[in-house]
Amino acid sequence: MNRKIWATPFIVWMVIFTLAPIVLVLIYSLTDASGAFTLDNFAAFLDPIYINVLLRSIGMALLCTLICLLIAYPAAYFLSQKDIDKKGVLILLFIIPMWMNFLLRTYAWLTLLESNGLITSAVNRVLSLFGVQQEVRLLYNYGAVLMGMVYNYLPFMMLPLYTVLSKMDRSVIEAAEDLGANRAHVFTRVVFPLSLPGVASGITMVFMPAVTTFVISRLLGGAQFKLFGDLIEQQFLFTGNWNFGSAMSLVMMVLLLVSMGIMNRFGDKEGGGVL
Amino acid sequence: MSVVESTHLIDLMGVSKTFDGETEALKPINLYIRKKEFITLLGPSGCGKTTTLRLIAGFETPTTGRILFEGKDITGVPPYKRRVNTVFQKYALFTHLNVYENIAFGLRLKKRPQAEVDRKVTELLHLVGLDGFGKRTVDRLSGGQQQRVAIARALANEPEVLLLDEPLGALDLKLRKEMQVELKNMQQRLGITFIYVTHDQEEALSMSDTIVVMKDGFIQQIGTPTDVYNEPKNAFVADFIGESNIMRGTMLRDELVEFEGRPFPCVDKGFGENAPVDVVIRPEDVKLTEPEEGQVAGVVQSVVFKGVHYEMMIRTDAFTWMVHSTQCRQVGQRVGLSVIPFDIHIMRRSVTPVEREG
Repeated sequence: MNRKIWATPFIVWMVIFTLAPIVLVLIYSLTDASGAFTLDNFAAFLDPIYINVLLRSIGMALLCTLICLLIAYPAAYFLSQKDIDKKGVLILLFIIPMWMNFLLRTYAWLTLLESNGLITSAVNRVLSLFGVQQEVRLLYNYGAVLMGMVYNYLPFMMLPLYTVLSKMDRSVIEAAEDLGANRAHVFTRVVFPLSLPGVASGITMVFMPAVTTFVISRLLGGAQFKLFGDLIEQQFLFTGNWNFGSAMSLVMMVLLLVSMGIMNRFGDKEGGGVL
Repeated sequence: MSVVESTHLIDLMGVSKTFDGETEALKPINLYIRKKEFITLLGPSGCGKTTTLRLIAGFETPTTGRILFEGKDITGVPPYKRRVNTVFQKYALFTHLNVYENIAFGLRLKKRPQAEVDRKVTELLHLVGLDGFGKRTVDRLSGGQQQRVAIARALANEPEVLLLDEPLGALDLKLRKEMQVELKNMQQRLGITFIYVTHDQEEALSMSDTIVVMKDGFIQQIGTPTDVYNEPKNAFVADFIGESNIMRGTMLRDELVEFEGRPFPCVDKGFGENAPVDVVIRPEDVKLTEPEEGQVAGVVQSVVFKGVHYEMMIRTDAFTWMVHSTQCRQVGQRVGLSVIPFDIHIMRRSVTPVEREG
């Protein structure tokens, strides 16, 4: 009975730092600057300007998730095969970026993609060899933000996929071969269906942070390229309209809850293993 | 067991397997398996029995040697093209499919019409006693039921040979006994070859037409259960199959062996004179007598009631004998022991690889 007491520090922590802020956000979103109840904050959000930014955020997050999946699945599948040399090193290479601060990594991309940065000057030099004189700009556009997002979130796709694929019972694959499945059939009928919980948690773990990001878009996208996270940040830090910012945060939270609900339908079978 | 046909279905010719260039799981062996035979590969873990099974299934390729199926070389043929199917140790069912689709897996790959799949799956569910279980998810089934699904799934492709890798290992004793009988019946009814891997000697003795005893990657003995039990080829087999008293002895001459510091008449010959041998005596073959009437005398160390008999440990000057008897003696009591010549089994000390005659 009294074991409950051990959870007290955690409960206190959650109440102060999770529950209370959510309640505050809820209160702010439903009031105006004077503190009176209003739905104006949500009405204001329906402006096409904001809706477009939201749609762009969702679109970019979806694209980023898809690219991560397409890169990570074959890699995780390859790494999960037991007879690979230097497997540990390869896995380490995928995980090492996660050890470094997220901001640092994004700043690194900033310097690489600057107009006199390493990558940009290399690309321009190659292009000039082919007679293209116009200098390309790799920074402050859609592609740069997408690049930054994929780079940052790829490990989050990689890990659950690798976990589920490498935990997969070898004998299940052998059973399929034994029953007449060639390599393609083994993959489509057994390996892929059994890896779906990993796919689901990978998608969740990439989509969630991707749809809410604002640092990547600000650093690599510049002032013109805004995502939904940037809008919320702007309301709180620059415009000072906490009520509107809270309303937008709430919209985002609902969006995340819905997408989590969808993914859980695939991920509820055991073996998803977030990390 | 006259159903076993004499034609060779599978031949292993000088087949060996070395893992990662160093671990010799299987030394070169020669073995043939006949049609409709229930053959058991028996041995302790690491003896090479599972490796042999996996080589036949095609999951491993032999390091040396060839594997023939009905006389045709199948050494390099991948598993999905072999006419054998496997029941895995931990069943390896497809958890994303229900019972019906697990069993239908092989038929679907062959693109059989739905009506045929339906008929076949219903038939197999009946065969393994799981009528009406088709819609269940496999992870909700008990161990015994999962085992049955695994068997039905493997039989769906109508294999010539069913390979079973310790299939009853995870079941409790009672269920294991039931399944032993069922498997044996199934094998006879279907009229196909079963190759069965186990470390359980009792299981091997009660189900098999032929037992292949293995140790350290070598075949120690091949024979019928009666042969292997009554005429073990060496001390290892004697010890592994049932319980035995194994003593060091010296073959003085034909039909006379010395151990326990005295000569015993026996029936073996051809070992030469004064040859070092292992003497094997089954606990149930030792007769208890009055101390002065026995060939040797000893003191009872312990008595354990085993249901049908008493298991007694009896200490003599040179050895502690295990004796199974329906008569009970008291701990500390002095008793005599005697063994008739026929029950004294003499074995060479050295272990040599074995070939199957015929």
